[in-house]
Amino acid sequence: MHQNNDRRQQWFILQELVVRELKRRYARSYLGVLWSVLHPLLSMMILSFIFSSMFQRSIENYPIYYLSGYLIWQTFSVATTHALSALADNRALLLKARLSPSLLVTARVATAFVNLGYSLIAYVVMLAVFGVGVHVRMLTAFFLFALLFLFTLGISYLLSCVYVFFGDIKHLYAVFLTLWMYCSAIFYPASQLEGLIRTVVHINPLFCFIDALRGIVLSGQLPDAGAFGVLVLWSVGALIVGRWVFQRSHREIVLRL
Amino acid sequence: MEEVMIQAAHVSMRFYRELNEANSVKERLVRMWKGERQVVEVKALNDVSFTIGKGEIVGIIGVNGSGKSTLLKLIAGVLPPTQGHLLVDHDKVQLLTLGTGFDHELTGRENIYLNGAISGYSRSFLDAHVDAILSFAQLQEAADAKVRTYSSGMVSRLAFAIATAGRAAEILILDEVLSVGDLFFRRKSEARIREMIRSGSTVLIVSHAPAVIRSLCTRVLWLRQGELIMDGPPDQVCTAYERIGKEMSG
Repeated sequence: MHQNNDRRQQWFILQELVVRELKRRYARSYLGVLWSVLHPLLSMMILSFIFSSMFQRSIENYPIYYLSGYLIWQTFSVATTHALSALADNRALLLKARLSPSLLVTARVATAFVNLGYSLIAYVVMLAVFGVGVHVRMLTAFFLFALLFLFTLGISYLLSCVYVFFGDIKHLYAVFLTLWMYCSAIFYPASQLEGLIRTVVHINPLFCFIDALRGIVLSGQLPDAGAFGVLVLWSVGALIVGRWVFQRSHREIVLRL
Repeated sequence: MEEVMIQAAHVSMRFYRELNEANSVKERLVRMWKGERQVVEVKALNDVSFTIGKGEIVGIIGVNGSGKSTLLKLIAGVLPPTQGHLLVDHDKVQLLTLGTGFDHELTGRENIYLNGAISGYSRSFLDAHVDAILSFAQLQEAADAKVRTYSSGMVSRLAFAIATAGRAAEILILDEVLSVGDLFFRRKSEARIREMIRSGSTVLIVSHAPAVIRSLCTRVLWLRQGELIMDGPPDQVCTAYERIGKEMSG
């Protein structure tokens, strides 16, 4: 009965943790999980209202262009921000039950991806509204999301370890996220960039994800082998590094908590 | 001799604590710059050895900070010891403590699932036993209220009911759980513990109330400042412990 290492049990624990996160997050709102659908729609409306005439020439379908970037960005930034404090928030659980700490981090990341699932409903509706034809190739987007999950998980492992030792990483990371967001070409056309900033944006892994999704959805083009390789490299690399640091510092984390 | 369940050989646990520990990058840089990082070694456990056989009911007494909870964490496998060997099958250990990570924003019922999952119960087990857990904790009416609204007595009843819902684990560790609730619940929980003891579990009971330990245990370990200073029959150890207590307070 106490086979905490049993895979099925781990899966059950993960499910319960995700359910808990979802319930907590919407505990005080009437619309509940509907916000995951409304939030992207509202922000799309605002950004389109402000920018679509400005970028009319360089971006063909601004609302969808923006929404694609927004979904990936929002999923990543919410997941990592919440996962950052996953270990510290569950101090009591970690010290008293023999719970694998990585599950707590995974649960927070998974919660953000469940939200992404809800937001995709809004996304598909908007594709229809703005006349983007739905085609079979779009299913590859799910593969893209799977890679994004690995990437996000890796970064989250790293952040959650660091946070145990240095509380102010939270504030530093918030500032860094703002910078990162502006470097991800979410609401402006990436094609007009030049010089250093162009290089930065194109190296930025999140832009690679966003760019791939836009390619798949807006022009029905799958990422070429090079772009695909870069995505896999970022995802697997982040996961391996994150996991390695996480496991190495496990002992210190428990002592420090 | 009977089967050995827990064997500790010269187990030590040391922590390195910085005086005025730096909690931020800035602070740490400032300290490093000034060269004022003072590291102190804390010996939570120092060269502790003992053997516990199958079916023994062992009490552990000691004042706060004597190393009791560190010892429990080592046995439960939350931490590895700094030195020495501790032989125990962590998968057989069940650690019962109170107020373990309930989520106060969730209802009692939801917490049973969350906590139960973490304690190692399967979903089907919880589906079958959720009502029994609620009724043992006398919380049928409050089952769907948030734990935030519970009294501390209700919280500890729920914790106790979840932890003891299953078949008793082979090694059961009770960390200060026997003095909770009102008189009625205390009787009920003691009866439950006795039942688990009779089923052949090896039990470790931690308490700073010698009365509980006297009535249940077959043997007592006394920890003081991380050292095992006495290991013997309950009456003998508890009497010595109480004598020291009186001397220190009077």
